[in-house]
Amino acid sequence: MILGSITGLSACLKAENAHAQMRDFKKIRPVIAAVQEHMFPKNSTLPSARSMHTIDFTEETIFHHTYDKDIRTFVIAGAQELIAREERFLSYGPAQKEKALRAYEQTGYGSNWLARIMTLTMEALFSDPVYGSNINESGWRAIKSFGGIPRPTTRYIA
Amino acid sequence: MMKQPLYDAVIIGSGASGGAVAYTLTKAGYKVAMLEKGRLIRREEFSKDELAYCRRDIVTPNLFDEYHVIEQKVDGKWEATPTYDSGWSFWNGNIVGGSSNFMSGMFHRLHPDDFRLKSKYGAIEGANVVDWPISYEDIEPYYTMAENIVGISGHYKPHPFEPPRSTPDFPQPPTQENEVVKLLDRSCRKLGVTSLVTPRAVLSQDRGHRKACYYSNFCGSYGCSSGAKGSSREALLPAALATGNLTLMSNTHVKQLVSESKTHVGYALAVDTITGKEKHIRGRIFIVAAQAHESARLLLNSADKNHPDGLANSSGELGKNLIFSGGGSGQGELHRDALKHISFDALMQTGLFVNRSVLDWYFIDDWLEGKFKGGSVEFMFEHQNIISRALKHNYDGEKLVWGKALGERVVKRFREQKSIRFEIFNDWLPTDDCFVSVDPTHKDKYGMPVGKLRINGHPQDVKVGNYIAKKCEKILEEMGAKNIYSSVSNAPAQNLVAGGCRFGDDPKTSVLNKYCQAHDIPNLFVADASFMPTGGSVAYTWTIYANAFRVADKIVEVLKKSEV
Repeated sequence: MILGSITGLSACLKAENAHAQMRDFKKIRPVIAAVQEHMFPKNSTLPSARSMHTIDFTEETIFHHTYDKDIRTFVIAGAQELIAREERFLSYGPAQKEKALRAYEQTGYGSNWLARIMTLTMEALFSDPVYGSNINESGWRAIKSFGGIPRPTTRYIA
Repeated sequence: MMKQPLYDAVIIGSGASGGAVAYTLTKAGYKVAMLEKGRLIRREEFSKDELAYCRRDIVTPNLFDEYHVIEQKVDGKWEATPTYDSGWSFWNGNIVGGSSNFMSGMFHRLHPDDFRLKSKYGAIEGANVVDWPISYEDIEPYYTMAENIVGISGHYKPHPFEPPRSTPDFPQPPTQENEVVKLLDRSCRKLGVTSLVTPRAVLSQDRGHRKACYYSNFCGSYGCSSGAKGSSREALLPAALATGNLTLMSNTHVKQLVSESKTHVGYALAVDTITGKEKHIRGRIFIVAAQAHESARLLLNSADKNHPDGLANSSGELGKNLIFSGGGSGQGELHRDALKHISFDALMQTGLFVNRSVLDWYFIDDWLEGKFKGGSVEFMFEHQNIISRALKHNYDGEKLVWGKALGERVVKRFREQKSIRFEIFNDWLPTDDCFVSVDPTHKDKYGMPVGKLRINGHPQDVKVGNYIAKKCEKILEEMGAKNIYSSVSNAPAQNLVAGGCRFGDDPKTSVLNKYCQAHDIPNLFVADASFMPTGGSVAYTWTIYANAFRVADKIVEVLKKSEV
């Protein structure tokens, strides 16, 4: 490790690792988006995941340096596991998706992963619009609860 | 190499206690260096960004870089877990002003009997309860001083368990209150319970450069954007900086204090957290104010040939008797369709405080349970953070609720009800199984052993918490709340930490003398809550401020006499 930091090797390894993770994420991004859209569908009293671009929020969030890297790995691995169980998940209709996700929920791993996706999606819907979701404060307006003043003008107190 | 300046005092940490010491010393004309590992966030930069402040490590270190190892008993065996695995951070605000930036500011003084708990209630088996070497009278003037300088709003009402005061009332009237207090006060009266106005370290009126509270609805866990909250950064550091005597070094992490003899610390070995460059900061006196668990860790990590077991540890007591706050919390829901005596619109008005405390059970004399030390209670609304509230109660048995059913559930929760909450503060009894050491293998990114916290609560703490929780649940019932629950456990609130460097008259059994000066090393003081042998049954911050002002007066005396 010491040698690595002297030669700058560890920084390269880290960058390579993040790059590989991003490649993995891009592959399963539609799976996570589909799960979010199933959890937050159209015609609900809350804005839909699709209309709030929660998948974009998710991508930016888990790759931000403030996000726990172990959880980032889990978010990706859990989606890979889902698609391994249900190869045609993306082409399923709502009823089949429901069945597949409830079956996945029966496993402890699946249950934890779904809870993590729920958390990320809620974070998208109810964080300040500066983060790119909760567009026009739609999430806040649905529950008549609004963030405090002053609002952030940059993401993560940059 | 240029000779480093010799400061009269070097303070490690810029939170409540460091700020109070800096305030007094700089005003007395002494040159002070304050070393803070975190950065400065100015008032104008704070916002109510829930994602950043409450859900990410923005104002605390990344747990993969700096962490603790927490040792807890699982099935009768001690199990150690690094906090990067558990996500349970024991950092509490590492920026200029420390965790005082993020407090809720519910302030109470200790009771005179908290200073003589052993004499008053006797020994408790399995607990290391001792009397303090000072009495309430010794610290009372400093409570008053903190009240004025930090700025505490409130309204004093005599109560048998309210400590005596040398002034008639608080310097400012209470902050504005939500109408729910009418319902709460009425319910308490009906049950024969006395509800008191909570003294709060939040200004209700403008004062100097600080503006009155603007009732943003997001106070605890957030930095204040008007300066109303009595953080060290707002209440103390500006005045200290104005003297021209304070050198505030942010992004400066102290790895070790380096001794020059058995009885003298020479310099702080610090690292610039941006550049990684090390520097030596020399002083006549060193004041450790890094928050209890980190202060003990720093002294343990400063072991050298003069002090093989750590600085100020000839007693072997360094790090021992770490305490938190016992108790727990509970809450219930006030529903639109069942609300009595106040309007739902008034209940839903945002930003205003609940501001109510109950001290009736500070000391308990129960016909069935007997006489014992109890605790205090604070009433408040459930924290108004939106994401965290939206994430609660979304399970139907084992199944996560989603889809339209989730939408209905969340919308109803936010629009048709508001949760009222109580928090119980009772003594966390000091025991042999609650202490700080340094981990033999785990190191932080600066190469220093991380603090290892063995945490175990005494069964009495849970007994007291449960006793009070039952009383509080009755109050919520009387208010008409639904789905009432409470949770009392031995799990600590990591932001309410004290002990580890007990003060006492006997150098064989304590780390510090009654002025919080190390018995072994006259030019070393510990100013934060580390000194407390027992914790009392209220949040610590007012006592931390008051004691640090007291300690600062002693340091001035030492500097004046050129004793170091």
